Amino acid sequence: MAVPILQINCITKFFGGLKVLEDVSFDLMPGQRFGLIGPNGAGKTTVFNLLSGVYSVDSGSVILANQDITNLPIRKRIGLGLSRSFQNIRLMPHLSVLENVMMGQHCQANRITEMIKPIGWTKNNRWRQRALETIKDAGLEVDLNSTVSELPYGVRKKIEVVRALMSKPSVLMLDEPAAGLNPQETIELAGFLRGISDSNVTLLLVEHDMNFIHAICEKVVVLNFGLKIFEGTPKEVNRNKAVLEAYLGTSAMESSGVT
Amino acid sequence: MMGGYVEGIIAILCINLIFAYGIYLTAASGQLNLGGAGFQAIGAYVAGVCSNYFELPIVFSVLGGILGAGLIGFLISFPVLRTRGVYMVLATFAFALVISGIILNSEFLGGATGMVVPAYAPVEVLIFSTFIIILIVFWLMASRVGLAMRAVHDDDVVSEIMGVNVKGIQVFAFTLGGALAGLSGALYAHHYSFIEAQYFNAVLSIFVLLFVLIGGTQTAWGPLFGASFFTLVPEILRLGDTEWRYVIFGILIVLMMIFRPQGVVTRTFVHRASKIFYRTAER
Amino acid sequence: MLGSIYVTVAVAFTLTIGILNFLNFTIPAIFMITGVIAWAVAAHWLPLGVDGGLAWPLAFIIGIVAAVLASLIVERFTFRYLRIRHGDATEHAIPLVSSLGFLIIFENLVLIAFGSEAQAFPEKFKSDFYIGEIIIGLPQLMSLAISLLVVAFLSWILKTTNTGRALRAIAENPDTASLLGVDVRRIVPLVFLFSGLLCGVAGVLFVVNYSDVSPYMGEEVGTKAIAAMVLGGLGSIWGAIAGGLLVGLLEALSIHFFGADTVDVAVWGTLLIVLILKPSGLFGASRIGKGKL
Repeated sequence: MAVPILQINCITKFFGGLKVLEDVSFDLMPGQRFGLIGPNGAGKTTVFNLLSGVYSVDSGSVILANQDITNLPIRKRIGLGLSRSFQNIRLMPHLSVLENVMMGQHCQANRITEMIKPIGWTKNNRWRQRALETIKDAGLEVDLNSTVSELPYGVRKKIEVVRALMSKPSVLMLDEPAAGLNPQETIELAGFLRGISDSNVTLLLVEHDMNFIHAICEKVVVLNFGLKIFEGTPKEVNRNKAVLEAYLGTSAMESSGVT
Repeated sequence: MMGGYVEGIIAILCINLIFAYGIYLTAASGQLNLGGAGFQAIGAYVAGVCSNYFELPIVFSVLGGILGAGLIGFLISFPVLRTRGVYMVLATFAFALVISGIILNSEFLGGATGMVVPAYAPVEVLIFSTFIIILIVFWLMASRVGLAMRAVHDDDVVSEIMGVNVKGIQVFAFTLGGALAGLSGALYAHHYSFIEAQYFNAVLSIFVLLFVLIGGTQTAWGPLFGASFFTLVPEILRLGDTEWRYVIFGILIVLMMIFRPQGVVTRTFVHRASKIFYRTAER
Repeated sequence: MLGSIYVTVAVAFTLTIGILNFLNFTIPAIFMITGVIAWAVAAHWLPLGVDGGLAWPLAFIIGIVAAVLASLIVERFTFRYLRIRHGDATEHAIPLVSSLGFLIIFENLVLIAFGSEAQAFPEKFKSDFYIGEIIIGLPQLMSLAISLLVVAFLSWILKTTNTGRALRAIAENPDTASLLGVDVRRIVPLVFLFSGLLCGVAGVLFVVNYSDVSPYMGEEVGTKAIAAMVLGGLGSIWGAIAGGLLVGLLEALSIHFFGADTVDVAVWGTLLIVLILKPSGLFGASRIGKGKL
C-alpha cells in the first residue's frame, strides 16, 4: 500500500463563532485525481486556504509527504510541492503573461546569485526557457508580453494553471478551473489535466461542473456545511442519498419522487 | 566646461533622479513613502557631520550618509510596515516631520541656522553617481528580486503563496530606498556646501513622491521620466520662479491623473516603444 | 488654543476618507481660501467704511460659499474620474495625487491674486468678547462650541436621515450601494459639500481667533488636522474630535514646557508612536484606509 502524499486529519476551522469546517479528513494518493465538491458555502475554498496557509487551522493537522505542514509559514509550502490556483483569478494585473508565469518559479531560486541575475535582460536563461516550454505545452497562444489584465477570462484562467505548474508541484490544487469556460475549452482543459496527472502530479480539484468531475476524477469528497458527507468514486456520488439531499434539499427530493 | 546655468540644472536633476529612485523602490513594491525629505535630510546631515567633525574624505562621508539613511530606513521599516495604505503614507509623513523637528532643535547640527559643509563635490561626481544608481536600479528591476517586488505591489497574499518572502522584500525595498534618498542628500550637502532643516520639508517629500507616481511605478523608466520632466520643463519654458509655474504644474498633475492614472510610463508603453525602436533599427 | 479648529478640519478630512476612502489633500487650501476670500471681501470689495455692521458677517458667508465651491470643483475633476480600476496596493494614491495637484493650484492662484504677505482682517474680535478677568477668551470657547455644534449636526445627519444612510452605504461598498438604488453620482458631491462647509467654518473660526490671514495659513492647520485625524483613527468622527483636542493640548503643553520649536516633534512624534503601537489610530475602524485584504 502506497503512502498518501497529502493527509488531511480532522481539520476544523472557525470564523468567529461560526464553524465552517468540522473534523474533515481525507487522504490523497500520489498521482491521484481527486475532486472536492459540495453546494455553495460548504467550505471547499476554505479547505484550499487552510492547505495553502492563508488561514490557520484551529485543530487537526495537514501532512504533506510525511512532513507536518499545519503551522508552516505560507511561503515555505510551495517549495514542498503544494501549489494552487484561485477561484477568482488572482494574477498580478500589471505583470506580463511571461512574468506572471515566471513568478511560479520563484520558490526554486534559492541562491542569492539566482535572485539578482537580470533574467529580464537575457533571452536564453533557463528560467525563461522552461516558462516558454510550459506555456507551449499548455497550448497557450497569446502575446507573452501583453499585460494580463487585458486578456480574456478563459486565457487568464489557463495562465493561472500554468503558473501553478511552474513550481513543479507534487500536489496541484485548482479552484474551479472550468468555471466560465465554454464546452470546447472545458474538454481541452480536461485533456490537459489528465496529461499532468500522468506525469505523477496529484490533482485536487474544487469544481461545480459534475460532467467535468466525471471526466477527470477518480475519487470525490463531498462537503456540506463544513462536514464531509461522502467519499467515494464519481459514479457512487450520483446514487448517494445524502449527497442528493445536500444539493437538492429534502423537500425537492420528496416532490420529485426520489427515495 | 559647462556654463554655470546648465551645470546648476544638471546638478539638481542628478539629485532629484537619485532621490526619485529611492522613493520609487518602495513604491514599486507597493508602499508609499511620503517621508522622502526625512531620509534625504539624514543623508545630508550624516555626510555633513562625517566631513566636518571627523574630517573624512568625501567618498567616506557620502558612504556614511548612505549607510546612515539606510540603517534608519531599515529600523523604521518594521513599525511602518505594520501600517497599510493611507496610514502608511501618513506614518512616513510623520517620520519626516519628526526628523526635521529633531534637526531644528539640535544645536550640534546647527539648528535653524543650518550647517556649512566646506568639502565640495563637483557636478561630475553627481553625474557619475546618478549613472551608477540608474544602472543598479534597472538591473535590480530586471532580476527576480525586482519581479518579486512588482508582484508584491500587485498582490501580496498571492506573492506569499508563490514563495516570496513579502516582508523581506518590503524591508529590503524600504532600506535600499532610504539609502538612495540618503545618497541624494549627501551629494546635495557636498555640492551646495550648505544644508538647513527647512529645506527638507513636507513639500519636498510631496514633490518627489509626485515625480515617481506621475512617471509611473511599473517600470524603472517611470522616475527617470517623472524627475526629468518636472525638473527640466519649467527651466525650458523659462517660467522662472513665478507662481504660474506651479499652477501649470498642478494642472498637469490633475490632467495626468485623469488620463494616465497608472503613470505616464507604463509597462505596455515601454513594450510598444521598444517594438518601434527595434523596427526602426532593422531598417 | 487651536484645538477647535483642528477638530473641525480633522472632521472634514475624516468625512472624505471614511465615506470615499479618499485622503483629500486640498482641504488645507480650501480652509485657507475661506479666510483669504473673507478678508478680500471685507477689506477690498465691500469696505467696512460706513458703520461696518453687516460687512463682516457677509464676508464670512461669502468665504464659506467660496470654500464649498472650491470643494465641489475638486470633486468634479478628481474623484469623479478616478474610479478604482486595479486592486493593487498603490491605487488609493491616484485621487491623493490629484488632490495634491489641486492643493498646488489653489495655493498659487491665491499667491498670484493676493501676494504672499499675511493680512490683518479689518474687524477685530478679541477685545469685543473679553469679560472681566476671565482668562480664556470667549472667541475660543465660542469656537469650540460652534465647531462641536456643526460636527454634532453632521453626525446627526449621518445617523438619522436618508441621505446619511446612503452615505454610509457608499462607505461600506460603492458598487453595492449603487445596485441598491443609491444615486452615487448625486450623493458623492454632498460629501465634498459637507467637507467644504466644515473647512469654511474652520476658516472663519481661525479669522475670529487670530484676525490674520495668509496664503500659508492652511499648511500648518491642515497638517496638524491630518495628525489629529490619524491619531483618532481614520473615518471616525468622534475620533477626529478627540484627536483634534489632543493635538491642541499637546501643542500647548510642549510650548509651555519645551518652547515653540518642539511643537512639531511632540505632535508628529506622538502620532508616529501611536501608529506603531496601534496601526489604525486610537479609535479607528481597521477597515478604512487599507488596501484590500
